[in-house]
Amino acid sequence: MSLSATSPLGTGPAAKAPRAQTAGRQEARWVATVAVLLVALLAYFCIAVPDFRDLGVSGILGLSEQFLFTGLIALGEALVILTGEIDLSTGAMSSLSGIVMAALWQQGINIWLAVVLALIISALGGAINGLFVTRFGIASLLVTLGTQFIFGSVATAVGGNAPPYNFPKAFVRLAGTGSVGPIPNELISFAVIAVVVWLLVARTRYGRGLVLIGYNRAAARYAGVNVQRTLFSSFVICGVLAGAAGIFVSGYYNAARDDIGNSLLLPAITVVVLGGVDIFGGKGRMSGVILAVFLLGFLDQGLLIRGNSSLTATMVEGIVLVLCLMLKIALDRRAGVRLKESLQRRFGSARRAAVLPDT
Amino acid sequence: MPLLLVRNKGLRSQGPAATRGHPDRASGGDVDRRPRVGTPRVGTRYEGRSLTKSFDGATVLSQVDITFAPGEVHSVVGENGAGKSTLLKIMAGIYQPDSGQLVLGEERVGGLSPRSAQQLGVYLVPQEPALMQSLSVTENLFVGILRRGRLHFNVDWRSMKQEASAYLDRVGLDVDPEVRAEELSIAQQQLVECARALVHRCTVIYFDEPTSPLTAKEAGTLFEVMKNLRADGYTLGFISHRLDEVLAISDRVTVLRDGKRVSTALRSEVEGPSLVKAMVGRELTGRERVRPPFDATGRKEMLAVEDLTSEPSFAGVSFSVREGEVLGLAGLVGSGRTEIAETIFGLRPSDRGTVRLEGRRLEHRSPRACIDAGLVYLPEDRARHGIFADVEVERNVTAGVIPHLARYGPLVKPVAERDLAKQATDRTGVRMASLDTLIKALSGGNQQRAMLSRWLLAAPKVAIFDEPTRGVDVGAKDDIYHLVAQLAEGGLACVFISSELSELAITCDRVIAMYEGHVVGELSGAEVTDANLGSLIVGAHTI
Repeated sequence: MSLSATSPLGTGPAAKAPRAQTAGRQEARWVATVAVLLVALLAYFCIAVPDFRDLGVSGILGLSEQFLFTGLIALGEALVILTGEIDLSTGAMSSLSGIVMAALWQQGINIWLAVVLALIISALGGAINGLFVTRFGIASLLVTLGTQFIFGSVATAVGGNAPPYNFPKAFVRLAGTGSVGPIPNELISFAVIAVVVWLLVARTRYGRGLVLIGYNRAAARYAGVNVQRTLFSSFVICGVLAGAAGIFVSGYYNAARDDIGNSLLLPAITVVVLGGVDIFGGKGRMSGVILAVFLLGFLDQGLLIRGNSSLTATMVEGIVLVLCLMLKIALDRRAGVRLKESLQRRFGSARRAAVLPDT
Repeated sequence: MPLLLVRNKGLRSQGPAATRGHPDRASGGDVDRRPRVGTPRVGTRYEGRSLTKSFDGATVLSQVDITFAPGEVHSVVGENGAGKSTLLKIMAGIYQPDSGQLVLGEERVGGLSPRSAQQLGVYLVPQEPALMQSLSVTENLFVGILRRGRLHFNVDWRSMKQEASAYLDRVGLDVDPEVRAEELSIAQQQLVECARALVHRCTVIYFDEPTSPLTAKEAGTLFEVMKNLRADGYTLGFISHRLDEVLAISDRVTVLRDGKRVSTALRSEVEGPSLVKAMVGRELTGRERVRPPFDATGRKEMLAVEDLTSEPSFAGVSFSVREGEVLGLAGLVGSGRTEIAETIFGLRPSDRGTVRLEGRRLEHRSPRACIDAGLVYLPEDRARHGIFADVEVERNVTAGVIPHLARYGPLVKPVAERDLAKQATDRTGVRMASLDTLIKALSGGNQQRAMLSRWLLAAPKVAIFDEPTRGVDVGAKDDIYHLVAQLAEGGLACVFISSELSELAITCDRVIAMYEGHVVGELSGAEVTDANLGSLIVGAHTI
């Protein structure tokens, strides 16, 4: 098939429209907003909280060890939420992964092999979620609500009443408390994984399909995106990342516990939303999520150091989340107005209608 | 009535027994405790002045004037997409006009909603009855105006039932008012809709293609009802694709074409042929084919479909398309055209049959496999299946060729992607501020150009265009015809699905006609005319 260079549809230069509001710009602005908030937050704590300032660079970086497992879960959760689905089983998956790893190690299996096996178990768990969602068409909210109980109870059963602790030093240092200079090992691992996931979403074919599914699943299918496979694999990746979080958390505390993941799920979803990902899929950037991990994490740690109770810290986080979302909606709406204006300027008094005429 | 910008005095003074403007109704109250006696006020003129309406930037109605007079059946005819339904929906308050006025009696009315239009006495009987299936006929009739009983908190079912029977008699429907709507046939439900208009004291009643789901006998019953209403002085509007019906029932006929009013005439002044001519207009007055006659010699068969079946949508469909040929697929909505296309493209499972591309059988078809093999499908429903509304034009255009965006390594190259999108949109002449514009900000025609760009990027050998000109401007339509012609010239085998017979006639080398899931005929070359197609797609045996 060949086309001549001149087009019968060529209708002159592009219309002179006002600078249109684009999805990219809107997303980028939110990422910038989160970054500014993060800097402002750190500045506030450094100025107003002497204990925080006295930690120094390495101390402050060290604080990240307390919340990066949440961040790992958030990275996986973001993939699933970008498609418009949700995974509520990630917390339980973390518990299960940590327990399985510890139990295998207790049985005399090499710790690194145990880590790999635990990650495989996590992938299988994610595959079960994905299978129910894609194959049987059950809403992911319900599927993962169910599997969360399954994973959690399996973790309790495997762990028994005396979960293992005191892992080999090499493992604890790499996964938990060790550091390279001022930078904790956990932060390095997180950074590597975050960059990989970011590239996955922003720059790969897979990520492109993932996001398009979130915007319009039917249209993605008509455009040739393999919707089932993409959804399925997003659950698998989410499971593996949740499993990895479970291993890091076990390494950090040098103990595995069957309920350790329970407290990680909701903060992880909070981070994803705070990072600018639309809970209904499509819109959002991984860079925003990555920044939000630190925003929420440092907020929490900073408040604790300031002397607030964890109760207060949780409340403040809730308030910040709501305020941030209001800010985001305000920013987006302002953009929306501009879009409407530009539409009107271009099409006269055209109203925006979602339906096509069925004359 | 907060929704209405109407000064209601005139209506009230004319109105019977304060049907309108009653406090209960005015406050939107759901219960009406007044006794209902007497006949509703009939004899209202209802007028639309300079009505204009566009959707997504495509003008579907432009400066249309129309007057519906009491005691008359006024038919609106025109081709698909001429704006008939849109016009009636504006009159009935379902759509808001972009500009223009509605005048009921002597009063201007504005800001109508379906509910406020009903309160003013305007009712639209939809093409498919929209009754609440699990409620009784009585409940359906009185929904919104339930009668209050003596105790003021109960509902007076008995009087409503009696009244329902009376109204059902009026429309010649002999069913128990207690029966649930789902137990009625479509024709009976249609009549219930009609009775509903009467129960709501509506005197301006519109029928939007009411006969398309009915048999000839059922349609006859409906016409009797319409004639009785006309005799009682009701103001009636009617849309139908069947010209014989229009000629049989109408007192006045308005012809719309491409959203404009072509003519309004008394029934006695029009005849079948002149009406058809007015409807299709330019096509009959020498509208040119957009491409020269097709010569099949030496042209390879690109797509061959054999005995393709997917019950209950269609069965035993076979056809083939050659290199550089444009094959039309004609048929009414529901004849299985889109289903065939979607089955070929792997979006629906098939019961049996084969699809061959360049002689090679496509098994386990999926959209991706088809695209990679050189077969693309431009879907009919652009908003739902085509565009990603909140995504930039660039990514909309490249969405069909994602695997090719990262040919050398795992990562998409943004620069290469932009180049591809730029080339493709230049080819089809998408008018936009930049490739970063959200596609929903484009007009219908430009959105469709972007969709065409998407599939040109896939370098297809066979393309199925499903209603490619739906919801686009007249100008963009022409461009799309020429683009299809040009693509065929370049060797692309095209399947062109359309409800507009005139566009099939000017673009296609050969047309197969579908009727209720079966191929009922094939026309080629000079036989491809509106008239020949028209008789085929309505099932020649019914004429």
